[in-house]
Amino acid sequence: MISAIADNIISPLGMTTAANLEAVRSGKTALRNHDNVHGVKLQEPVVGSFFEELPCMDGYTSFETLLIKSVAAALSETHINAESDTCVFIISTTKGNIWSSPADSAKKVANYFGNKVSPIVVSTACTSGVSAQLAAWRMLTSGRYETAIVVGCDVQSEFIVSGFQSFKALSNELCRPFDVQRKGLNAGEAVATLILSNTRNGKWHLMGGSIHNDANHISGPSRTAEGSLRCLKDMLKLVDKTDLAMISVHGTGTLYNDEMESIAIHRAEMDEIPVSALKGYYGHTMGAAGLLETILTMHALDEGVILPSKGYETQGTTYRVNLSQDERESRGNSFIKLLSGFGGVNAAVAWTKAEVKEKNLTPDEYNKWKEKAAVTLTSSDNIKELYKAEIGNYPKFYKMDMLARLGFVGTELLLKRAGVEPEHEGTAIVMANYSASMKNDKDYEATIEDKNNYFPSPALFVYTLPNIVTGEVAIRHQVYGETAFYVLHSEDEMQQLIDVTGMKPSIKTIIAGWVECVSTDDYYAKLSLLKR
Amino acid sequence: MDNKELKEQLKQQVIEVLNLEDITPADIDDAAPLFGEGLGLDSIDALELLMLLDKNYGIKFSDRNQSKAVFASIDAMAAYIIANRKK
Repeated sequence: MISAIADNIISPLGMTTAANLEAVRSGKTALRNHDNVHGVKLQEPVVGSFFEELPCMDGYTSFETLLIKSVAAALSETHINAESDTCVFIISTTKGNIWSSPADSAKKVANYFGNKVSPIVVSTACTSGVSAQLAAWRMLTSGRYETAIVVGCDVQSEFIVSGFQSFKALSNELCRPFDVQRKGLNAGEAVATLILSNTRNGKWHLMGGSIHNDANHISGPSRTAEGSLRCLKDMLKLVDKTDLAMISVHGTGTLYNDEMESIAIHRAEMDEIPVSALKGYYGHTMGAAGLLETILTMHALDEGVILPSKGYETQGTTYRVNLSQDERESRGNSFIKLLSGFGGVNAAVAWTKAEVKEKNLTPDEYNKWKEKAAVTLTSSDNIKELYKAEIGNYPKFYKMDMLARLGFVGTELLLKRAGVEPEHEGTAIVMANYSASMKNDKDYEATIEDKNNYFPSPALFVYTLPNIVTGEVAIRHQVYGETAFYVLHSEDEMQQLIDVTGMKPSIKTIIAGWVECVSTDDYYAKLSLLKR
Repeated sequence: MDNKELKEQLKQQVIEVLNLEDITPADIDDAAPLFGEGLGLDSIDALELLMLLDKNYGIKFSDRNQSKAVFASIDAMAAYIIANRKK
């Protein structure tokens, strides 16, 4: 069984999980009015949850320091050897430091604890914290590692806040998930760590998880909740519905997200299951959200309660969702954590206190993949000309950033070479690189640099998430199967992640790609089409 | 600048800001709906158009619903700009 053996949450509400739980149970919120983020004046004030003072150790950024502090606190609860080569660090973040690769931060953090195993950065927008748990589950199920230290964090900045402002996604009041008065989300920051083990026993066991794409739009969620619906249905295969205490939803407080989740829950016939939304306490903590909300839910259920959904009063979604502004008694041993994000990605994990039947997957069952076609693109290939000559008739290509164009054209050529159209349900799109969305981040930054000519571009901001490339491919081919994006030090570190994707039995095809874009004239992509 | 010139300029700006590379100003009918089938624009394009109006004409919308009518067509956009431009 894969168990949670230690955890920690550091947020503006407290430095430990216990302090955070207590604050939330007493109805506190970390959301305040801010006219600046960490000293940087904002063009428009926001409501958000920011640390009063960001810690910063010598030689480390605040992002790295927060990761280290949270991991150290979680490690102090257990006796695992973080230096062991059977221990892997899995970092969940959407932006990391912004101006350096999150792969470098991950390595610095792992090295701080004496760990030499190549860390994995999961960067799938707002679903990162749940996708990271699934990556950990797969790594531990494969038997390659005994322990996974899963830690999620994002530090708020003008960069992120201005982007959400350009999307008109922020509320200038406290967010109100699922409420009829909801106006948008609040930006938040936190760091949360969950240590998982397949050798030690803990109270909570991770049963597995699921990722699905909406195949609809890179920023707007599916109007029919295609991805979240599939995630919930997958979780119902793992969890006995009568033993399900609750669903911890994403509940950002935006019109579209909460409506989409209500549709997913209704279509999955889970209308009666209690639901809890925690953004009213923390805002949207991005890379930390999936872990923070999972950990708090576990501890609340340990106390026999379902946490109240702060800000909720009156149903504001088409379908009634069973949430409450009051604390409720919980019944059942299991829960589902659900998230969704830009790039059309949705993710869920299921946790239980009951015994879990061992999955004894032999590597032969999941990592036997045959390469059917391969494509390599380098800086000497003119991507736009390749598009015109070999693809064409997809005007959205011109709206994509360079990274997405690279992955998109690479995939089109790959499929053309193989002479196949990918299965809608049975395909996984797994991509990775080292420099995340660095090239586009610079382009976006240029739109907010000059305060006298300050026009943050939503079309550029959306591509500051590297996983958007996987969403573009999913939309093009209506792929509802898995989409994942990892930030790693080198191409060879990707293989283990491709292999374990096969643990999802429904996946028959993998479009795997190392897609690197440093600048307009420095890029490289290597893609493979893999079949079971 | 007369209405015709403004509409020409607006089409150029729309094409540029929305990266409509395969489209020329002549392809855009003044009266045709910008959203829906025509140019294949989406919600991010709508946000970029809001920014275009702010950046080039000093027009800000406090209510996004109000902008929907303005983006009905190039004709509607031009009329709104003439009546409300601050630069």
